[in-house]
Amino acid sequence: MPIFRWEQSWNPLRDLEREVDRLIQGVEFTVQGIRMPRQYPAVNIFELEHEFLITAELPGMQVQDLELTIANGVLTLKGHRDSPVVDNQDIPEERFRRRERTFGEWQRSISIPDRISDEHLSAEFNDGVLKIHLPKLEEELPRQIPVSSGE
Amino acid sequence: MSRPHSEDEPREFLTPEQFVFTPPIDIYETDEGLVLYADLPGVSVGSLELQVQDNKLTLLGKVEPQIPEGALPLHKEYEVGNFLRSFILSGEIVHSEIEAKLANGVLRIFLPKAPKAEPRRIQVNTG
Repeated sequence: MPIFRWEQSWNPLRDLEREVDRLIQGVEFTVQGIRMPRQYPAVNIFELEHEFLITAELPGMQVQDLELTIANGVLTLKGHRDSPVVDNQDIPEERFRRRERTFGEWQRSISIPDRISDEHLSAEFNDGVLKIHLPKLEEELPRQIPVSSGE
Repeated sequence: MSRPHSEDEPREFLTPEQFVFTPPIDIYETDEGLVLYADLPGVSVGSLELQVQDNKLTLLGKVEPQIPEGALPLHKEYEVGNFLRSFILSGEIVHSEIEAKLANGVLRIFLPKAPKAEPRRIQVNTG
């Protein structure tokens, strides 16, 4: 959570509003009113000229522990993050002074538009940030239509 | 995928400098010292600043924008920003021997404790 900003804030009310939004977005309200944690990992999706781009923050994940699959227009991200070990043994609970990070297995499925080219999917993982490139189908790209005069 | 409903969101989204996050950390103690882990996704070795001043350890991780310019956000679940957190070190930590390693967006800092002096017997003489 942001604790302050680098620059002088020009609209504190807007910041507050966004903070409250973020807090509310962090939980999902079910019909029964039970609060459920939101899905992990959080993703951002962007549209570029030739592709869609999905980004997710996955600190501490190893490339070999990440699994990406695509089937029937659903992209599934799967992986696990192991808690640190010392000499192959878990660190005893009483040794911890602070524990804020989370570990374990996770999985998330994202519906993707059908106008993407499945074969050319690519992904990169750097500094704990995953980027998935979903190229658009050729037909989807804007095309020039020649206009000829009737003469 | 849903489209953003607010018109001014894209511009805001493209300036990560605006946000400063407190990264989640783990600290555990060993016989030799303290081990600290911090999650800093998007921070590379070149953009991480670690500083010890007096007895305060400060970590600042600068995050580069994750997306090319001109990308249109369709769906947004997290914000990108820099990471900042500081810690007060206890007197037993040997500042000059602090080690840090950054891998896959996780920082590991080892804070060694000064070895305890061996108990020494003090001879008591009678007056």
